[in-house]
Amino acid sequence: MKEKIIVKAKGLKKSYKMSKRNIVAALRGVDIEVKEGDFSAIIGPSGCGKSTLMHILGLLDRPDEGTLEIDGVDMSRLKEKKAYKIRSKKIGFIFQGFNLIPTLTALENVMLAGKYGGMRTKERKERAKKLLKLLGLQDRINHKPNELSGGQQQRVAIARALINDPALILADEPTGELDSKTSLEIMEILKKLNRKENKTFLIVTHNLDVAKVCKKIIRLKDGLNA
Amino acid sequence: MIEIFRNMWRRKFRTFLTIFGIVIGIFAFTVMGSMALKLNKMIDGGKKYITGQITISPKGSSYGMSSGTLPIDTINKIAQIDGVDKVGAMVSMLVEDQNPDNASMNMGQPATIYATDFNSEFKNRNWETMDMREGKMVGAGSTDNEIAIGINIATDKKLHAGDTYKIHGREFRVVGVVNKTMTGPDDYVFMSITPAREMLIESNPFMESLFVQNRLKAEDVNSMAGVSWKDGYDSEKVATEIKDQFGKDVSVMSPVKMGELIDKASATMNAIILGSAMLALIVGLFSIVNTMVMSISERTKEIGIKKAIGASPRSIAFEYTLEAGIIGLVGGAIGMGLGVLAADIINNKMAAKGAEIFLIEPNFLIAVIVFSFVVGILAGIIPAIRASKLNVVDAVREL
Ligand SMILES: Nc1ncnc2c1ncn2[C@@H]1O[C@H](COP(=O)(O)OP(=O)(O)OP(=O)(O)O)[C@@H](O)[C@H]1O
Ligand SMILES: [Mg+2]
Repeated sequence: MKEKIIVKAKGLKKSYKMSKRNIVAALRGVDIEVKEGDFSAIIGPSGCGKSTLMHILGLLDRPDEGTLEIDGVDMSRLKEKKAYKIRSKKIGFIFQGFNLIPTLTALENVMLAGKYGGMRTKERKERAKKLLKLLGLQDRINHKPNELSGGQQQRVAIARALINDPALILADEPTGELDSKTSLEIMEILKKLNRKENKTFLIVTHNLDVAKVCKKIIRLKDGLNA
Repeated sequence: MIEIFRNMWRRKFRTFLTIFGIVIGIFAFTVMGSMALKLNKMIDGGKKYITGQITISPKGSSYGMSSGTLPIDTINKIAQIDGVDKVGAMVSMLVEDQNPDNASMNMGQPATIYATDFNSEFKNRNWETMDMREGKMVGAGSTDNEIAIGINIATDKKLHAGDTYKIHGREFRVVGVVNKTMTGPDDYVFMSITPAREMLIESNPFMESLFVQNRLKAEDVNSMAGVSWKDGYDSEKVATEIKDQFGKDVSVMSPVKMGELIDKASATMNAIILGSAMLALIVGLFSIVNTMVMSISERTKEIGIKKAIGASPRSIAFEYTLEAGIIGLVGGAIGMGLGVLAADIINNKMAAKGAEIFLIEPNFLIAVIVFSFVVGILAGIIPAIRASKLNVVDAVREL
C-alpha cells in the first residue's frame, strides 16, 4: 500500500520585517513531508522557527516563498478568506497554553470546533461526548476550564482537535506547561490515537523525553532543516 | 447565543454600565417621543378644526379669549359675501375663573366653554360630528340648559349623562359625554350660545354695565365666528374677500395659511424634541461602541483561538455584532419600560387636571425597540468587523 502524503512543503521561507534595516528571517527554506499515520517531533533551539512553521502548515500564516500541499491540495494559491474552511475540516490544533475558551464548558469547547467544521448540533454533541469519554473526562464535561487541571484541559483541547476528524494534528509544545509525569501521560494519549486511529501528528517539543516517544524526529536550526 | 449572555454576564459591571447608557438614551427617546406624539396629535386636531373653516375673531383679541366681541351685524354682513355659505357665531370662555395662584400648576388646557348658535346651520368642514361615549351631542333642538362635556371634564368632575353641572352659578344638565379625542374637545363644555353670552357678560363688569345701560345687546357678544364657504369656492379667496371688507374690525384666519403656520410651528417643535432625544441616543451609541471595542480587544486571544479552530470571519463578525445588538435591545427594552412607566405616572397625575402630556402608542414603542436593536448593531458592526480581520498568528502568539 502506497503511503498517502498529508503535508508536502518545499523551500518555505518567512521573514518578519521589524524595520527597514532589521529583518528577522524565521524560516530560510524549510522542506518537510508528513505521511499519513506519521507521529513526528520537531525539535530545535528556541527561536529556530518551529512555531512559525506550525502556523504556516496550519494555514494561520502564509510563507513568503515555497510550496505547500495539504492532503494533495496546493495551498499556495488558496485565498486567505478560504483558509478557514480547510483549517476547520483538515487541521486540528493543540497549543501549549491549552487555549480553551474560558466561558465555555469542556463539552461546549469541543462542540464549538465541530460547529465550525459544519456538524449538526446533535451530531457534534454526541461526538464531543464520545471523545471526552475516550480521553477519560466523562465526569468533567460540564466543567469550565478553570475548574480543570492542566492535564485535563489539554485533554479537552485534544478532543477539540479531533472532533472534525482532521487529516493532520499540529501540536505546538503540547506538554510545555505540564509536569513530566502528566507530559508523558498526554504523549501516551496522542500515541494511542496515532496507533489505534491512525491519526497523523506533528509535535513541536523542547523535551527530549517527549521527543523520544515519537517515531520520527525533524530537526530545525536557524530557520533551516538540520 | 447562550455564550453571548455569558460573555455579557462575565463582564457584568461594564455591560451594566453600557446598558445603563442605552437605558438613559432610550428612556429619553421614549419620553420625548411620547410627548411629541401627544403634542402632534393635539396640533393635528387643532389643525383639522382650523382648516375646516375660516375663523373670524374681533381684532385685538387673542384667539378664542374674549376681550373684544364680534357684533351680530358684522356676522350677518359677512354672511352676505359672495362664496360664504354659513356663518356660525360662538362664545368661548373658561369654565372656571383662572386663579392666578395655581395657574402655573395647570399644564394642560383649562376647561373651556365652547358655545355655538344652535340655530345656525354653520358646520366645520372637518368636524361635523363628535363620537359620543354617553348620551348625545347638543345642537339644533337642544335646550339652553343642556350641555355635552369632554371626557377630561367628565373624569375630573365625575359626571355622567343625566347629571347636573354647575358653571358660573348656573345649573346645566349633562346630556352627553364626548369620547376621548386626545385633543381640545376633551376639555370642552359644549352648550348653546345664549347662556354663554349671559355668563360672559356677567363675568365682565365693563360689559355688564354697558348691557345694563342697554348699550350692548346680548347677541353682539360673540367671541368668534366660523365661516364656511360654498362648494366650488376657494377658501383663500373667500377669506381674502372678508379681510378686504372687514379687515379693520376683525382678524381673519384662512384655513390654508393657518395650516401652514401650524405645520411650521410643529416642525420646529418636533425638531427640538427629537433633536434632544437623538443627542441622548448618540451618547448611548458611543457607549456601546466603546464597550465593544474594549471587550473585543480583551478577547483578542479568544478570537484567535476561534479562528485557529476554524471559525469563519463571517461567523466572528456575526457573533460580536449580535452581542452589541443584544446589548442595545436589552438596554432599549429597559429604557422603554422606564419611559412608559414615567410617562404613565405623570399622565395619571395630570389626568386629574385634564392635562395628559404623553401619548403612548404601541407602534411607536415597537419602533423604539427595533431602533435600539439596530443602534446596537450599528455600534457593534465596526468593532466586529475589526475582530473578524484580526491576525490569528498575532493573537495566538500572545499566549
Ligand atoms: N511576529 C513576529 N515579528 C517579528 N519576529 C517574529 C515574529 N514571530 C516570530 N518572530 C521571530 O521569528 C523567529 C522564529 O520564531 P518562532 O516562534 O517560530 O520560534 P520557535 O522555534 O517556536 O521558538 P520557541 O521554541 O521559543 O517557541 C524568532 O527569532 C522570532 O523572534
Ligand atoms: Mg514556539
